[in-house]
Amino acid sequence: MEFLLNFVERTGAKAVGWWNTSYGVLAFLSEVLSTLARPATWNRATLDTIVKQIYFTAVQILHIYLIYVLAISWVIITITLSTARDVGLFDAATEMIIRVLLLELLPFLTALLIALRSGSAINTEVALMKVNNELDALSHCKVEPMQFEFLPRIAGGIASVIGLTVLGGVLTLFLAYLSIYGLSASGFQAFSNTISTVFSVGVLIGLGVKCVFFGLAVTTLPMAAGLETPKKLFMVPVSVLRGMMRVFLALVLIEVLSLTLEYI
Amino acid sequence: MFKNLHLKVGLFVITVLVLALAFLAYVLHARGFFEQRMHLQLAAASAEGITPGMPLTFSGMSIGQVTSVDLNDAGGIVIKSEISQSGAKWLRTDSTFNLDKPLVGGAKIKVSSPDLSSPQLPDGSTVLLQISDPAQEIPALIERVKNILANVEHITRQDGELNSTLANANTITARMSGKYGVLEGVLGSEENARPVVESLKNLEGLTAKLNEVSAKVDAMLVKTDRWLFAEDGVSEQSRQALAQVRAMLVDAQGSLKRVDELLKNAVDISANVKDGTQDLAKLRADIDDSVRKANDLLNDINRMWPFGSDAADMKLP
Amino acid sequence: MKSLADEQTAQVSPDLPLRANLSARENIALIPLYQKHFDAAEASRQAQALLEQLGFASIADKRDPDMNPSERFAAKLARALILRRPRLVIERPGAMLYDIHYPVFLRGLAARYEGKPEKWEVFDFDWNRPLYS
Repeated sequence: MEFLLNFVERTGAKAVGWWNTSYGVLAFLSEVLSTLARPATWNRATLDTIVKQIYFTAVQILHIYLIYVLAISWVIITITLSTARDVGLFDAATEMIIRVLLLELLPFLTALLIALRSGSAINTEVALMKVNNELDALSHCKVEPMQFEFLPRIAGGIASVIGLTVLGGVLTLFLAYLSIYGLSASGFQAFSNTISTVFSVGVLIGLGVKCVFFGLAVTTLPMAAGLETPKKLFMVPVSVLRGMMRVFLALVLIEVLSLTLEYI
Repeated sequence: MFKNLHLKVGLFVITVLVLALAFLAYVLHARGFFEQRMHLQLAAASAEGITPGMPLTFSGMSIGQVTSVDLNDAGGIVIKSEISQSGAKWLRTDSTFNLDKPLVGGAKIKVSSPDLSSPQLPDGSTVLLQISDPAQEIPALIERVKNILANVEHITRQDGELNSTLANANTITARMSGKYGVLEGVLGSEENARPVVESLKNLEGLTAKLNEVSAKVDAMLVKTDRWLFAEDGVSEQSRQALAQVRAMLVDAQGSLKRVDELLKNAVDISANVKDGTQDLAKLRADIDDSVRKANDLLNDINRMWPFGSDAADMKLP
Repeated sequence: MKSLADEQTAQVSPDLPLRANLSARENIALIPLYQKHFDAAEASRQAQALLEQLGFASIADKRDPDMNPSERFAAKLARALILRRPRLVIERPGAMLYDIHYPVFLRGLAARYEGKPEKWEVFDFDWNRPLYS
């Protein structure tokens, strides 16, 4: 009996914990959106900080990212082509590459890279700001940390996921064309036809929306986790751990959701 | 440092924007946004296996795609498709549209224009989409051919009826041409003549049976012609294969006729006895050959389906 | 304590640290930039001017960890002054200025400063009263 009671109590505590977490994240998100909608937000200072954030999130890792995309794309294109040749589905290889690599894998890996690099940094920084009372100091000065600390990071994160995905996607397309048809224009018509089959207006919009959500997830979730940190220094690593776990779950959820919407 | 930062970010953002816009323009171009596309309506009995995005190919090159599949108010199938401007010039009034659904790989609609001098197909016209699915009809056909060939093989195999009969005849003629020659044949005429006559009857029965088989194949081929060739649906290969079956059976029939004649000769013992035995040996070789041919053909047919409809597909009728 | 944290009071307190990844000038400039909506150059100029007035122009580009207690205090004070609130409260100065005789230091700063508020309030522990005499 006592065991059962304990079990119910633990479940209840967990449910309340989850509820509080989701509520915190959603409240934070709604604050982000309301700040975004305020015209006063969009001044020169905000834009400057966004530029800085794009620099730290995307431009600084551009060369590493491109090498990484090149390697992954090359491996996957090669495997797909040789498998397709073996089972006699070579015609479908282009479409397979575009669908798997360009629409799914590339945005996902980009978001994952940014989450690993910038998301964890954001989480730590926000947690430290919270623990060190810096946030209280800012609120005493009536300077909204949302506008100059959080929002630029979110906007920068979204812009970076989109920007890097576009660059990586174009690189992958070139690589795919070269791998399939070599250095000749002969396959251009067929390639264009496949592209036109895959990229309907809906798919293009879906890809954009997915990138935006990825960008939101890799920045807002670490921030929300950082803001939740109790004012104890030893809780900072725990906060980062929780935040990054949530980012990972959110990325998988977004990916599964987008696949469900696209194929079911 | 700060200025450098702005420069780099500016470069990054501009590159991304330019590439994104270029890609968008490319997709729109590929989707025919900038060119006048030709629209075709395809009428079909069933929309099974037809999906939007399915390519239309001419000589293996993609020239357009299916845009939508709908039911009209009368319950008919309306398949709308778009053809690129460059592809539209290959469409003639006598072009045929076939749904090609291989067992492995994506389905497509094959367009063939037998006569490129006929007038161009106008925009917005409605054409008939022929749905022939060799994958479904050929196996049944093959099954029947297999049965017939098994039959022939049964008749002509080493320990089969025909061979034992021939061996019989062989012994008799051998005995006739043996040490005691014609004398024994004459002396034992009543006893020895009986098996010969029986063998002969047997053989006549066999040839009748073979004739029947051959007639069956003929009938089947006529049926196949009506049933597949009418729609131009079956591949060149299957037609060749069936022609081969037929030729082989005619061959077998011819051989057996020769057995018939030869055995008639055998009855006329005093005649060309020695030549007769040689002929009999040759005949057996002939029959063995026929059996081997039949086996080869079976193998051929097995190999041709269902994995080999590529090569012959593009031949114009 | 609660009464101090209203919108009419600018506080200098050990509990209200500077933003750690910004320089002293940037920390001060945040207020004209985001609260009074000056542009970046003007906000920066105001912050620099205030630091110069207090005699701490040299710390403009230093970040929190690179400053000594007096410099850190000066930056916090400048941030509180630029808020232009009617009251200025310096809370527990001993906790921030632990290595100097801070009443003298505070008086020196107050003498240099020319703007409002003219009167600064200091909240300190009772046992530190002799230091101010």
